[in-house]
Amino acid sequence: MTSHAEALGHHEHHGPPAAHQSSRVDPRVLGMFLFIASEAMIFGSFFAAYFFVRVVNPDAPGTWPPEPFHFPVFVAGVNTIILVTSSFTMHWALQSIKRGQRTAFLAGMVLTFLMGLAFLLTQVIEYLHVGFNTGDGAFASVFFGLTGLHGAHVAVGLSLLGMVIIRGFRGHYSPEHHHGVELPGIYWHFVDVMWIVVYATVYLI
Amino acid sequence: MTTTHETQQTTTPQYPEHFEPPRGTAYRLLFGPGLVRGAWMGALFFVLGTLLVVGLRAWWGWDPVWLWPVIITVAGLTAAPIGFLAGIGAFDYWLYYLSGRPTRPEDHSGHGARSWRDYFRVNTDHKVIGIQYIVTTFVFFVIGGLFAMIFRAELAQPGLQFVNSQEFNGLVSAHATLMIFLFIIPAFAGIANYVVPLMLGAPDMAFPRLNALSFWLLPIAGVMFLASFLTPGGSFAAGWTGYAPLAEGQPLGQTFFNMGVQWAGASSVMTALNFLVTIITMRAPGMTFWRMPLLVWANFTTSLLVVVATPFIAGSQFFVLFDRVMHTDFFIPEGGGYVLGYQHIFWFYSHPAVYIMMLPGFGIVSEVISTMARKPIFGYRLMALSLVGILVLGFSVWAHHMFVAGMADWLRVPMMITTLLIAVPTGIKVFSWTATLWRGRIRLTTPMLFALGFVTMFVIGGLSGIYLGSVPVDIHASDTYFVVAHIHYVLFGGSVFTIFAGIYYWFPKMTGRMYDERLGKLHFWATFISFNLTFFPMHYVGLRGMPRRVFDYAEAFGDLNFVISIASFALGASTVVFFYNMVTSWARGPVAEANPWGAHTLEWQVSSPPPIFNFDEIPQVVAGPYEYGVAGARHAVMSPAREAQEVPA
Repeated sequence: MTSHAEALGHHEHHGPPAAHQSSRVDPRVLGMFLFIASEAMIFGSFFAAYFFVRVVNPDAPGTWPPEPFHFPVFVAGVNTIILVTSSFTMHWALQSIKRGQRTAFLAGMVLTFLMGLAFLLTQVIEYLHVGFNTGDGAFASVFFGLTGLHGAHVAVGLSLLGMVIIRGFRGHYSPEHHHGVELPGIYWHFVDVMWIVVYATVYLI
Repeated sequence: MTTTHETQQTTTPQYPEHFEPPRGTAYRLLFGPGLVRGAWMGALFFVLGTLLVVGLRAWWGWDPVWLWPVIITVAGLTAAPIGFLAGIGAFDYWLYYLSGRPTRPEDHSGHGARSWRDYFRVNTDHKVIGIQYIVTTFVFFVIGGLFAMIFRAELAQPGLQFVNSQEFNGLVSAHATLMIFLFIIPAFAGIANYVVPLMLGAPDMAFPRLNALSFWLLPIAGVMFLASFLTPGGSFAAGWTGYAPLAEGQPLGQTFFNMGVQWAGASSVMTALNFLVTIITMRAPGMTFWRMPLLVWANFTTSLLVVVATPFIAGSQFFVLFDRVMHTDFFIPEGGGYVLGYQHIFWFYSHPAVYIMMLPGFGIVSEVISTMARKPIFGYRLMALSLVGILVLGFSVWAHHMFVAGMADWLRVPMMITTLLIAVPTGIKVFSWTATLWRGRIRLTTPMLFALGFVTMFVIGGLSGIYLGSVPVDIHASDTYFVVAHIHYVLFGGSVFTIFAGIYYWFPKMTGRMYDERLGKLHFWATFISFNLTFFPMHYVGLRGMPRRVFDYAEAFGDLNFVISIASFALGASTVVFFYNMVTSWARGPVAEANPWGAHTLEWQVSSPPPIFNFDEIPQVVAGPYEYGVAGARHAVMSPAREAQEVPA
């Protein structure tokens, strides 16, 4: 298994010769953080739309959501717990591969993936039973906008995790080479943290 | 075209043999990465997207099952481009990687260009990508310019002559959209793509495959904008600003605008991210931030703006798209939406965007002026810091576009003050350029002429900007031709002049050949004069009350508009000189030296065009980049160049 990964590792570097490293930050990690900054601003624009519709708008309804609708605060709360837990299993998986414990790493990744999938499916079912649709007013627009945008990010995160799992089961990653786990992990933590903000804004406030 | 690249082949070093993919068999043509596979995979993904929409709608029992606006959005504007990208091979490496299979060397060492065909492939070489960007953007520059010619012909007389009102609005919208999203922003990205890694002493960008993907998103966006002309109801016609609620009720073409902006925006965010990581992590030893050329500084600050601001235009267009396709009510008052929200979100990107369209030009002009005046740039650190100042202030001024939009009154004066404050860092830059010129040994080459033309025109545009930034004047001048004059003085007299300066300045480096200096000067003076004849009278007709974005106007403005239209045709004709010069010089121009301008920055210390991986050995930077006129001053110590054949594979 390791020889296979090493053989692949030999092929990892093609193209230009190595550049001078002028920063202690790893380029891939820096790239991921900049990408996350950009992603945070996408959420920012959706929060801005939410703010305009609910706070700035002089015609905003007095109760939120307007009668007779309500948001499934409890179900989404359970979902929040699932997603936050998945951040811990993600961290466990990363720590495991750093220590060379492949079984724990794979178990952590699979658990994280399943929890993410459970979150996404719960959200789909929540949409089906929420009792209103996108055309039912601006409150529904911002609700579906923010939760849908987040759902899309969960889907992207799940694809990244799926990629790590496939490669993991094929014998990739080692205590020395675990960037392929770390980067999707950073993204996954971002998706989790963003959900806490979305949940607090959309469902609780 | 063939001759151009054949000559280039002779001037570029030999490439490793394994890079050339075997060609010729029908199987390779159909299933190997390339435009053919891109075409059929695009079509395939269109069908898959259609099936997805129709299948889901049939499953839910929604009526009608074949809802074309949704099918176009999902299948035509989202799935088909992804299929095309997969087809040309933009994802090949990643798909191999994520499935855990061994990655193929030719997927990503596709470095350098051996023939003109390699420019139509996914190529990871920043120099090839830079030229891909520049050529693509100039194609759209011509198309956008032709649109302007058409509606200037319409505006030569009051009343309707050639097009109807919706077509007129469509032409104006497409002109602005192409010029902004497909010319100015990506042309700067193209120049920077070529030059920045060289200036840093880096072999390539930090993420070459991402770089290739960023480029290929761009023609997708451009084709999308143009394809809107083929839709029933014509192209998008709500202006490049696409204000809601105007955009909500527009024909199908508006959806093409909404989605095209997403593709162009994704392209710029990825490029910007790439620049930031490259600049932070790949500088040559000794290249501290305070030794970086100002072009690198300019692209650093621009990239920060892009990464942080661009998501907001993505958001604004998503909301309009959802309102149009998914029946949401983000900007529909009847449904509880908040109309002004669109303008706030849109301008929160689009005001910083004017700096995205200007800061790289500041960088180019700093390079050109310092080199051509043979003097160190005046106030180097302040020049860099003023870029940062513009970056920070740029986020605090967006509502000056909305003084008459009915926004909260208390927001006007703070926005006016921050807007006028921007004059401070820009003023610092203008004074620094002037001080750099002071007692310099000025060489009036074509890039220098364009740089000087830029400084003068940008000052005029900046002054009218101060008028427009003041609330009382803006209330009078808002939505008149005064605004059109202002925007063209800063975007044409500003950004486009700097693009021309940059193209001429780095032309010998990019092509290995010298352009014709006489034609270059002719191009400058023809452009400079016809530009002023076109846009200066617009100040006057604007202040007299001629509204912009209207196909008809009062008889009193007829004569001046006729003059403007004639001048605009001359302006269009002046670019013919430019293209003739570029094409013939690229094909047959005299071979350029490595450093025709005697510049100190790193890109001039290697051959023209540079070796495949830029530097045989990474240079050691020892001082600032602009020590002109200082005896014995060097920016960097280079190892002696080796023979081209010895370039390592």
